[in-house]
Amino acid sequence: MHKIITEIVPTVDFKGVRCIKGYNKICQDYSPYLSDESKLAHQGAEYLFFPTNEGELSAVFREMAKKGIKVTISGARTGLVGGAVPYGGAIVSLEKFDKILGLRYDSNLKEWLVRAECGVSLRDLNNWAMKKIFPGLSESGSAETKAFLERYKEIKTTYFYPPDPTEMGAALGGTASTNASGARTYKYGATRNWVRFIRVMLASGEVLEIPRGKYFATLAGEFTITDSNGNETIVTIPSYTMPSTKNAAGIFSAPNMDLIDLFIGSEGNFGAITEVETALQKWDKPVSIVQFFPSDDKAIDFVISLRKEKGIRPEFIEFYSSHALDLLRKKQKEDPKVVGMPPIPDYAKSAIFFDIRFDPETKDNDYPKLEKIVSKCGSTLARSWAGYEQRDLERFKNFRHVLPETVNSIIADRKKRIPELYKLGTDLAVPDQALEEIWAFYKSTLEETGLEWVAFGHIGNNHIHINIIPGSLTEMQAGLSIYNEFAKKAVALGGTVSAEHGIGKIKKEFLSIMFSDKELEEMKAVKIALDPGLLINPGNVLDIATDLHRCPQIG
Amino acid sequence: MKILICVKQVPEITDVKINPETGTLIREGVDSILNPFCEYAVECGLDLRRHYSDIEIVAISMGPPQARAALMRCLEMGADRAILLADRKFAGSDTWATAFTLAEAIRAMEDDFDIILVGKQAIDGDTAQVGPELAEILGIPQIMYAVGVELTGNKKKIRVKREIETGNEIVEVKLPGLVSLSKGPMIRSVSSFKEILDARKKELRVITASDLNIDENVFGLKGSFTQVVKIFPPRVKKKGEVIDGSEAGGAAEKLVGFLRERNFI
Repeated sequence: MHKIITEIVPTVDFKGVRCIKGYNKICQDYSPYLSDESKLAHQGAEYLFFPTNEGELSAVFREMAKKGIKVTISGARTGLVGGAVPYGGAIVSLEKFDKILGLRYDSNLKEWLVRAECGVSLRDLNNWAMKKIFPGLSESGSAETKAFLERYKEIKTTYFYPPDPTEMGAALGGTASTNASGARTYKYGATRNWVRFIRVMLASGEVLEIPRGKYFATLAGEFTITDSNGNETIVTIPSYTMPSTKNAAGIFSAPNMDLIDLFIGSEGNFGAITEVETALQKWDKPVSIVQFFPSDDKAIDFVISLRKEKGIRPEFIEFYSSHALDLLRKKQKEDPKVVGMPPIPDYAKSAIFFDIRFDPETKDNDYPKLEKIVSKCGSTLARSWAGYEQRDLERFKNFRHVLPETVNSIIADRKKRIPELYKLGTDLAVPDQALEEIWAFYKSTLEETGLEWVAFGHIGNNHIHINIIPGSLTEMQAGLSIYNEFAKKAVALGGTVSAEHGIGKIKKEFLSIMFSDKELEEMKAVKIALDPGLLINPGNVLDIATDLHRCPQIG
Repeated sequence: MKILICVKQVPEITDVKINPETGTLIREGVDSILNPFCEYAVECGLDLRRHYSDIEIVAISMGPPQARAALMRCLEMGADRAILLADRKFAGSDTWATAFTLAEAIRAMEDDFDIILVGKQAIDGDTAQVGPELAEILGIPQIMYAVGVELTGNKKKIRVKREIETGNEIVEVKLPGLVSLSKGPMIRSVSSFKEILDARKKELRVITASDLNIDENVFGLKGSFTQVVKIFPPRVKKKGEVIDGSEAGGAAEKLVGFLRERNFI
């Protein structure tokens, strides 16, 4: 089926929606709503709304559409590309959409599913799923939900929600909108793989309810949406083929695609996702291992061998380059507690961080295949750090997290001297067979320039973050030029300009490296079909001429 | 030389919630860990072994079967073998019964020890009594609140730097002796994956009450004379005044003035 009908939500009085008015008031008292983790400079906002349900959100959308005021959707503001940073108009915070709605077992899919409002954080969702305590559900849920809840509590298996974009404060709706990924994408895929249902409010104030597996594009790549007045809109999906890599650049498109996938990863351009139902995964006890190697190249050899070894299935494979370990060593000298690990051994010239299944209570723990691969790559299992207690898993995760934070703190410090400086962090990914080539290209190019840089990240998905740390504006210009070269190389190798951060407001120029003008026009056509007034998220992903700063008075 | 390290498994304190009705710990869903002060004791033993050769390290714990995990941590850190005293008959032991059972096991199986290392207290009960009681029962000297331990040249004595209210003091005693640790490395050590795998191949012996061949009335609940009614921090003593005694006349004058001021003389 390719035809879908919108749903009208019960209307409420717009005046009853909590609203903060005035540019100065918002700048002074609500400044966190003007930025996200990108630290992109905002252009202010005249209104800040806090709707608490779909009725209120619909009322806000309708009123803003009537007045021609653009709306920036704001979730947990953990994005890295400025998606939630307002360029004038109104901000609509969805933080009050914070309720858990349901839990059920789907016997066809053979999986447990949790349904929640979009403002629920991944941290809460995971805590609830793992500890089997869903606040309020046992009181407010239907009889059927209560029965499922009891059954879920009784089973001994522990479940969790696999997508882990490092920042677990991220909101469920935001992560669905951006198809958030992260380290665990290596084994479990990105958010898209786990979303089974969404409700999305269109700019018209009407809602689409989209379960996975119900609405598919026609052979011509079309969906037909009928609104409450009987008007039909035909949405034609772009004709391009998506890269086979992990990808967050451009609107999702595939032959005979599921409508739900058009909204997942659209960076909120087509509407606000208000509810999400996600699948849960059985949780196996893991051991976290940081395996040290004598060189970057040996670490890359290890990754390639590990991926080929089908008997070992890591949840993630993360990289620390030689320069990255040096930076952490320096940090350890300044503040050992921040790093939280013993001194990094002198022999460690690079490291690979990965999790594998491990039952601490079993005697027969033997990993001969792993031992063999490690040894082939010039190291031994004795040259590693490992831990499996929950506190150690968190500690190891922090050891991964502290690296980009250290880079950020260096940049923040340098910004005091040169305010125009910013971190140049790549988000490129390539197919498996291109890993060695792209790494050789990164390394030779960077070593020639003499710039300060580190490399780390999701090497399992060939998604290494290169962070260039400029010390001057000249270095920053040189870094920008290199970043551009890297993006071109990644695309030439069949990769993407953005594997996980998305495009938002700050990476738009990279889209044209990956997509032709015709393909960009196809994306814009989808946006115009779903949001003809260009009401939602102005300036995100696509540049379509709008008058952003016009902001008439509302009652 | 043989070092025995007595350890305890405790709930991870950052996660602990109290049942508001009963005032007891909610242990359901709370992770268990090796008591951090016990981990300091293991670190101390390993440090001694790094400096002096031929030292065997044996970790001992009394607890439920799941306390194996705490002993496994000791083995991963580098202990050579471990003993778990696990029996329903040991349940309900107070500090005295615990120390008594440990002492009996040590007498029965590891009588040739040179040093016993313990943590200064467990972070769940906070009694700080098992270590001293164990030393008393075994009739060996005890040094509490150690922050540094070394052996003398002939390895017949142990020299311990310990915390006291006004700073530190160095104490030296003949071996065998018991030392409780109150400090360890600022950053917890991490085992290698090889150490974690190898630990599971080391000996971890489980001992029951019948193995000890002692009267059942002296351990477990039956052998426990005490009950924890309330836990509270000790009252902090006011900081005293120290008179510099390097110049005797002046010091005596100050002391007399001090006592007169308070009408003591």
